[in-house]
Amino acid sequence: MTVNLNRRDLLRFGAVGFGSLALLGGTAGCATSPVGTATLDPNAAAADFAFASWGMSEDATKPVLLAAANSFAKSEGVAVTTPSYPFNDYLSQMMLQIRGGQFSGAAQLDVAWLSSLAALGKLVDLSSYAEGREYTPAALAAGKNEGKQLGLPWTIAAIGLVTNAELLDKAGASSDPKTIEEFEDNLRALKGIGVIPYAAATKAAGLKDILVWMQTFGSPIVEGGKSALAGDEAIEAVTWYKKLYDEGLISADIDRSAARSLFAQGNAAIYDDAPVGKAGVVSQSPDGGLSDKMMPIARPVLKSGDVPQEVLWGHLVAVVDGAGSQTAAKFAQWLTSDKAQTVDYFTQLGLPPTTAPALSETAGSNDPFLASFTEKITVDAAASPLWPYVSYAQMETAIAEQVQAVLIGQSSPADAMKKASAAVDALI
Amino acid sequence: METTTMVPATALTVEAENADPKSQGRLALSARRKKPFRWALWSTLTVIGLFAFLPIYWLAVTSVTPNDQVFAYPPSLVPTEVTFEHYVSVFANPAIFGYLKNSIIVSVVTAVLSVVVSMYMGYAFSKFRFRGRKSLMYFVLSSQMFPQALLLVTLYVVFAQFGLLNTYQALIISFTTFTLPLCVWMLKGFFDALPDDLIEAAKIDGAGPWRTFHSVILPLALPGLVAAGLFAFVRGWNDFMFALTLAGPEKQTLPPGLVNTFIFEASAAWPALMAASLLVSAPVCIAFIFLQRFLVGGITAGAVKG
Amino acid sequence: MALDATPRTTVTGRREYGKGKRFDERSFLFFLLAPGILLLLAVVVYPLIRSLVSAFFEESLLYPGMSFVGFQNIADVLANDFGALLNQTLIFTIGTTFFPFVIGMGLALVLNERFRGQRFFRGAFLIPWLIPGVVVSFLWMWIFDANYGVLNGVLTQIGIIDEPIAWLFGVDSARGALIVAKTWNSFPWMMVMLLAGLQTVPGELHEAAAIDGAGPIRRFFTVTWPHLSGIAGLVILLEFIWNFQHFDTIFVLTGGGPAGSTRTFATEVYDTAFKGYDLGHAGALGLLWMGLLMILVVVYVRFSERGSKD
Repeated sequence: MTVNLNRRDLLRFGAVGFGSLALLGGTAGCATSPVGTATLDPNAAAADFAFASWGMSEDATKPVLLAAANSFAKSEGVAVTTPSYPFNDYLSQMMLQIRGGQFSGAAQLDVAWLSSLAALGKLVDLSSYAEGREYTPAALAAGKNEGKQLGLPWTIAAIGLVTNAELLDKAGASSDPKTIEEFEDNLRALKGIGVIPYAAATKAAGLKDILVWMQTFGSPIVEGGKSALAGDEAIEAVTWYKKLYDEGLISADIDRSAARSLFAQGNAAIYDDAPVGKAGVVSQSPDGGLSDKMMPIARPVLKSGDVPQEVLWGHLVAVVDGAGSQTAAKFAQWLTSDKAQTVDYFTQLGLPPTTAPALSETAGSNDPFLASFTEKITVDAAASPLWPYVSYAQMETAIAEQVQAVLIGQSSPADAMKKASAAVDALI
Repeated sequence: METTTMVPATALTVEAENADPKSQGRLALSARRKKPFRWALWSTLTVIGLFAFLPIYWLAVTSVTPNDQVFAYPPSLVPTEVTFEHYVSVFANPAIFGYLKNSIIVSVVTAVLSVVVSMYMGYAFSKFRFRGRKSLMYFVLSSQMFPQALLLVTLYVVFAQFGLLNTYQALIISFTTFTLPLCVWMLKGFFDALPDDLIEAAKIDGAGPWRTFHSVILPLALPGLVAAGLFAFVRGWNDFMFALTLAGPEKQTLPPGLVNTFIFEASAAWPALMAASLLVSAPVCIAFIFLQRFLVGGITAGAVKG
Repeated sequence: MALDATPRTTVTGRREYGKGKRFDERSFLFFLLAPGILLLLAVVVYPLIRSLVSAFFEESLLYPGMSFVGFQNIADVLANDFGALLNQTLIFTIGTTFFPFVIGMGLALVLNERFRGQRFFRGAFLIPWLIPGVVVSFLWMWIFDANYGVLNGVLTQIGIIDEPIAWLFGVDSARGALIVAKTWNSFPWMMVMLLAGLQTVPGELHEAAAIDGAGPIRRFFTVTWPHLSGIAGLVILLEFIWNFQHFDTIFVLTGGGPAGSTRTFATEVYDTAFKGYDLGHAGALGLLWMGLLMILVVVYVRFSERGSKD
């Protein structure tokens, strides 16, 4: 799936698997959006605008974002308002706001949300703002929808396995399991030392993480515009997950937030996260040395030699048409590609930039965790096959529900995946 | 007890006291009650008390736990290390007090408006017989039977058209409407209990219906109005979804405000959330502890009919 | 204050009064009803009709325009695990109505007695009701957490369980946890309403019954309950309607899980409208929901009206 550039090139250029990213830009199978995209008048005078984000309501990111918005506002002589919503409610609130004509300006987006918001037909095509800014092609692809540049990539990384090296060592587990079998042996060894071996997601809100395991078992998730969840590979993945659960290798009632807490306490040895999570984990840990023990590993594969499957993670900035949207677009461009700004963002929050100059500037950073994460995980990251669909959030819910049914023994993997597949097909 | 009807505006305290003489019989009775009864009383109180207060205890304990010990397992029931840093950080965060202010404005105005609207409606239902009265009463009651998540979608558009989005008004109008069933029913019951002779007497004295209601009936109904108002207050105080959607970031009330401040994308500042919740709930709790006699006394008069 | 005014006499009195159809009385009546009706029309009736119309159309939250599909949406909803959804909604609604009522009643009976600290307890028991509902949900999520929750901690320490239990990850325990959390939040208002109802029970009647040798339980049913049944019926009815509607606790505590076993109409409508952006199916759910609730309430009202002599 990863293409014919060598690894070093990939690393240099934002480190994202290109091939599957095309999915996002290319085949939005359900493109029912009847509305076009707005265009901007590049000669409009600078105007006040809004910058919506959930980062504005999180302790860690708020000061950094606020400083960025203020510095842009000052240099342009405009005022920026910064509405924010909790992450969980952000998408639906933004939908209502945009649909009701209440919001225009720049908005932070999760890469997974672009197609849903694009369906509103209010996002501005930012192609001209992306030109000549040296965004890596992979990052740009993450902001494309139906061939249009509807979002500028702000930070791009992946969600991968993070391990506690000390616990692996204590259990005598391999620090670099290549195949699922080796990985399982690792988990059993870890169970022996009395920790939760792998804090994999089991709560409804986090179970989307299982999709990447299904891909690891060879499922395409979606094939030819139809769900492939009822296929043998997906069933096999769920059967495996259930086995881990029954053996106590993964635990109940876990989402990303719980996983971070358990990992921080030293009660879990492995969990899934984006690099952004590290700061939070370290800050809530009683173990002052945890930072040095955190070690990313590539996701194990079915047969040795396969390319690891990893899922993309990142933020975009999109611009909603309306008052001030021209200045908002300029802000989006500045925020995501101004070298000093993006390097500063990286330095303060550890969020990797998306332009070649900023990447090379930060490449030599003294953060071995991030470097290793990029090399082992982000290189192979691809967009989830479900993201191009407008109802993607509800698809996730449907799949999570059926996987849970298997975990609690209410349903067999085959039955459950048949149901999940039907539900996803209905939403496609 | 008919004497109460002679007491006009100061009825508030009088009413509340009046709830007690009735219990004199009970008082005499309880003196004769035997030990097992006392035992049953205290054991009920203890069991329900544990259920009611242990979670609050845990809320308080969490709010003084240092961040790096919050997730320790097994948790220690008595805090080993106490910190007030979370309270300090709440006090240092002006946004929380902004939410508190919004919450109080929205809840108080909702309470007042609910009382005004429902006292008129309740009075009409109680003292007038007109065609469609019964259907209208059931309509008021059933107005809460439809999913509010769906009402929200349309309301959003309606409020947007009237330019009311991101204002206190949008919340106050919605919450007032949602409190009508309870408040109208409570006040109708209250008015039912006031004898019609009062109205007749005022009529003979030459008072029009308007004056009769406002200067004869209302003062007597004051305890009921206070009680209804307190219930309406809590409705506005508690709502999450409407407050999040209609009020916008500037006018957000506490429930969405607290979530916005302490529940993050993939983590939660539990101790700070608990500290902030305790701090902002405390004034309301204290106020209600003092007001509870009106709460009970106010419904009492109307309670016969329910 | 005429607490025991018998309904009969007041009814005749009222009738006489209401028949005076002088113009100013009619306009006064209009004035009394207008504000409430106006609010209900704007905030409930209009959006309601609008949503019910959606039930027959294919309509998205994302783009304008709608196309008529007849009863297709309703058929879809009925075909899609409707029975399970109804069952789960009723479990939640009945549980969260019954337990707060029982606890509220027990507490009201206790706090209606005279003892030292009675006033304090009447106030203190209101606290669970006054902590914002969404915080209550997070608090219980925190308590029930499988991996670091205090409930598991306590039960393990006193030796009732060996291994932590994943409360929110079992079908029955998750349903139970929801009912516990919601009960905690709403029993105080039940208590207040029932306490108010108890105040209307004339003490002399108790006295008389006691002299006749009636025990506390018989006195409750012969003396107390007849005075209490009106307000008890009202709080049960309102609580039932509200809980049918309730969303926050489920959304925060279980998110409808595990395996959809705690989904209710309220969470399903939310998911369909705000995650699936499908107003048509959400409207269809709403239509069925309202139909069901109406039937239940009409049956209840009929039943309770037959029960009372009024």
